[in-house]
Amino acid sequence: MSLASTDTMKAGPSMLARLFARQELALLLCLILVIAFFSFTAENFFSVRNMTNVLGQASLALTAGIGCAIVFISGEVDISIGSLLATIALPLIIIMNDTNSLLLGVGGALLFGLIIGVVNGYLTAYAGINSLIVTLGTMFIMRGGVYLYTGQRAIPDDAALDSFIALSDGRLFNVVPYSAVIAIVLLVVFAYMMQHRPFGRQIYAVGGNPEVARLAGYDVRRVKFICFVISALLATVAGIILAARVGSAQHTAGLNFEFQVVAATVLGGVSLAGGIGSLTGMALGVLILQFLSNGLRGLGLPTEWQLVITGMIIIAAVAFDEAKRRRIVGG
Amino acid sequence: MEMSELTQSSAPRRFLGGQLLGSSQLVLGIILAVLCIAISIAAPQFYSEANIIAILRQCALVLIVASGMTMLIITAEVDLSVGASLAFVGCIGMAVLNSTHSLALGMLAALAFAGGVGLFNGLVVTRLKVNSLIATIGTMMMLQGGVYLFTREAVQNHHRLISFTDLGAGYIGAIPLPVVIAVVIFAIAAVTLRFTTLGRYLYAVGANERAVRLSGVRSERLKLFAFVVTGLCVGVAGMILSSLMNAGQPTAGRGFELTVIAAVILGGTSLLGGRGSLFGTLLGVLVMKVIDNGIIILGWNQDLQMVVPGVVIILATYLDIIRNRANVG
Amino acid sequence: MSVDFLHPGEGTAVDTGVPALEMRGIDKRFPGVVALDNVDLTLEPGKIHALMGENGAGKSTLIKIMAGVYGKDAGTIRMRGRELDIKSPRDSLKEGIKVVFQEIALISEFTVAENIFLEGYPTGKGGSIDWRKIRADSAALFNRIGFNVDPAARTGSLPVSQQQMVEIARALAHEARVVVMDEPTSSLTPNEISLLFTVIRRLAALGIAVLYVSHKLDEVFEIADTVTVLRDGRHVSTRPIGEHTNDTLIQDMIGRRIESLFPRKRGTPGSKVALSVQGLSTAKKLKDVSFEANAGEVLGFFGLMGAGRTELAKAIVGFDPITSGTISVDGRGLLPHDTHTGVRLGIGLLTEDRKSEGLMGELPVYQNASLASLGAFARMGFIDKAGERKAVQDYVDRFRIKTPSLFQQIKNLSGGNQQKVLISRWLMRGLKVIVVDEPTRGIDVGAKSEIFALIDRLAGEGLAVVMMTSEMPELLGLADRIAVMCEGRLTAIMSRDDATQEKILNAAIG
Repeated sequence: MSLASTDTMKAGPSMLARLFARQELALLLCLILVIAFFSFTAENFFSVRNMTNVLGQASLALTAGIGCAIVFISGEVDISIGSLLATIALPLIIIMNDTNSLLLGVGGALLFGLIIGVVNGYLTAYAGINSLIVTLGTMFIMRGGVYLYTGQRAIPDDAALDSFIALSDGRLFNVVPYSAVIAIVLLVVFAYMMQHRPFGRQIYAVGGNPEVARLAGYDVRRVKFICFVISALLATVAGIILAARVGSAQHTAGLNFEFQVVAATVLGGVSLAGGIGSLTGMALGVLILQFLSNGLRGLGLPTEWQLVITGMIIIAAVAFDEAKRRRIVGG
Repeated sequence: MEMSELTQSSAPRRFLGGQLLGSSQLVLGIILAVLCIAISIAAPQFYSEANIIAILRQCALVLIVASGMTMLIITAEVDLSVGASLAFVGCIGMAVLNSTHSLALGMLAALAFAGGVGLFNGLVVTRLKVNSLIATIGTMMMLQGGVYLFTREAVQNHHRLISFTDLGAGYIGAIPLPVVIAVVIFAIAAVTLRFTTLGRYLYAVGANERAVRLSGVRSERLKLFAFVVTGLCVGVAGMILSSLMNAGQPTAGRGFELTVIAAVILGGTSLLGGRGSLFGTLLGVLVMKVIDNGIIILGWNQDLQMVVPGVVIILATYLDIIRNRANVG
Repeated sequence: MSVDFLHPGEGTAVDTGVPALEMRGIDKRFPGVVALDNVDLTLEPGKIHALMGENGAGKSTLIKIMAGVYGKDAGTIRMRGRELDIKSPRDSLKEGIKVVFQEIALISEFTVAENIFLEGYPTGKGGSIDWRKIRADSAALFNRIGFNVDPAARTGSLPVSQQQMVEIARALAHEARVVVMDEPTSSLTPNEISLLFTVIRRLAALGIAVLYVSHKLDEVFEIADTVTVLRDGRHVSTRPIGEHTNDTLIQDMIGRRIESLFPRKRGTPGSKVALSVQGLSTAKKLKDVSFEANAGEVLGFFGLMGAGRTELAKAIVGFDPITSGTISVDGRGLLPHDTHTGVRLGIGLLTEDRKSEGLMGELPVYQNASLASLGAFARMGFIDKAGERKAVQDYVDRFRIKTPSLFQQIKNLSGGNQQKVLISRWLMRGLKVIVVDEPTRGIDVGAKSEIFALIDRLAGEGLAVVMMTSEMPELLGLADRIAVMCEGRLTAIMSRDDATQEKILNAAIG
């Protein structure tokens, strides 16, 4: 009985949680600092209304970010989600306009998203093409397709169903936007999956070391395939929320959205190398960027600064992650 | 051991680096010929002098940047920021021309800026060890945002320099000046890749960077070089583009990076590095631009131009993977 | 008759007579090399079967086929008379075949306990993972086999030997019919080895068929019931251990006398110091390593897995950064510490990892050979291709490199010929010191003696050769002096005449 007593013996997520506790704590601190800074400098920043507004705005990136982070953890990348946002709005709005049914519209959109996820996943996992190339390709194909179909004109939501509009301006208890509620629920569900379901652990294993995962009997390609499907479906949900917010299907919807999500995800400590990071980290990354851009706008900075800053954050976060990894792995 | 027979029979000295390139370039040439014939049957004006010159001009821009990009991809890196850089360069070049009325200074500013972007990308990739696809996405965003902070609308031509207009619209004999410039850059790059030690090292770094480093060669410098060259090519192309549009357009160049990379990969240069040729890139550029031109003169929706490179880039990468597998087996 | 190590006594009685696993006529080819040629292997339940052979004999390939990592080109695999169709590791695991590989196959970010249950997480109601059971069962398992590691530790933070034990423990966490261990002791301490042997004997007592892969004679004599020897991918013999002596086993493994493998032609080394290393340390591994190597000498470095041989090799040629110490070649310091300077001073590395650090697989043979000496063929930056090819052809002829042409992609050559091209790369450059790291890894036995002859010739021509090896015969056959490493330190340097296997091993254990 030389082993440690049971209270110090922890396995699985508790250990992982401990491992990342410091990083997530640092992110939380960073978030608080950002909020504190703008509370003092920007007008009308620190109010319940503005806070919940920001949460509502962040819900898009939070929802899609779950998929982005899961794909990252599996060791791949998906940058087609911005174009996907614009694409799935077409079936959604068109079906709703035709049938006046939110359910059918959402169903159509999800089906469409599913197809895209299957295509991305198949080309990456089974055909073996670099996922960045695949999703770069589908990103342009989808965007081009939307341009072609709409002739660069917005398709308005003529059905104007109450339930659909509620997605954009409805609030739970008149406080929390429904879109944020959806994002938080999805976040909790998927965070639970990643830590407590065998499939979630398989994703970590596949991203952490695909060869070891294969030796342990995992179907590495299937796991990656499913991750792409999940990512596309979550981006679809984000796309539905966006369509509700703008009240139409727009050819420019979600431009550069994928890069903002990627930036938030790497900022949240999810490694591009795979197998490392958590959805909590990703969520904190999204919130930091969202409050930052909200605050900067409050200070009157041009919105283009957002792009510049996001680009810098992507490079800095990946460089930092790389340096950390090299220190751990050595060589 | 079928490989060895194949290798010996296919005139090994023809192309540096990859013996299989010969056959895939032949296929590409046939595709190009079929495309030209098909389009000209559907629309006879395809063979008009004006149209051919238009195609060549379009090709020139892509070929200039693709020449640098081929070198870069041969070293197993890639630059996605060339489209955003192209737009920014045009604006900066035009602004400098407006204030100095000197073509030389304008060119210099454009080259310095674009070369600087290449240097930045190269340093981030070689020093900070950031994956080049991600690093250059970051740069692309910074440039996209930056160009709007630099100018909200197109920088108009206030200097009316004839030499500047000639850059895009001029001719040497019957050949458009941009085409001449592209051919010169293409030739220099092709000779470098094929006949010089520098070219050989570029292939070597792409084939196995660690082996190159162990052999006492400074592999980082080679990659840095390829990034800067790509940047400089963007500088030249950006000035030609702004001359053709007679303005520096901050919105120009969207999707340009994809066209360039699609052309390079289509030409048989492998994203995995170490394999490829500029001749293949030339064919790739021609195929891409003939398709683009076909879309226009057949009166199809021009938005297809965004879809085509997306499809081509996925297909070409897939073909490369299949070729690799056949190679191994 | 499957047995769960965690719940012994639940397995049915040992049913000898029917083989647990039967492999017949297994063939496997890789480009340029026949790895297995008509190999048979039969494992009996409750018996410990040793699989022996030199590096490159085909042991690893055979067990990788068993594990579903490679597909076989021909042959059949039967389990208790039923033919198996193993297409992936999953199929193999389902049949109860557990393989402990030599390379650590654990997720380093996971805890030890989670790695133990990687193949199948115990789940509670609703299919969520039962972490409590994982913790309890892994603790119980460790307790049962007397293994003292915190199940909550991050796996990557453990030393290599403990990770190896975790690997072994993992094979016991699920039902197993066949347990395969590939060189399991290569990084273990003597205590851990005796622990391992106890575990293996208990496995056999439970009716599990154990395949023990090793090239260490003493271990095999201690633990095995039966020995199968492979050589050059062919089955040589299968006999009860009682019928073997040290000599008969070596005879089976090598197939010829050691002297013929190591033809020594060079004279005695000079006394001129070619390489001097003083107080070398790196961030990860090496601690205060000092030695000198003379021109014309082969200085052999021995050490167990994880001792730091490869780290030393990469540090002294300037490839990996160092934290302190000096390296000088012919009296000139390696400053700045990089390979560019190293090669200029005349020190180069023949890497152990040909594929990722040596070969440019896609490129032709002649470009691989001339990589380090391209400057010699340059005229104003342009390559004198005729001169280059002539020089390479010269080496191809001298070293009898078998290639259809200079334009053949090097990945299509056999391991031995690839290695000769890489040696040519350095000779074309002209070195004073060559560091060779496991020079015969992945090379057919036939070609090995050619590589040895080449190394002998290099030293004969006045180079200082620093040779890293884990092969005792290689070490004793080639080296003039022998240096031994343990955990990043240099623990002994002795002359070849003073060296015995026992002395060397003692120094290697530290």
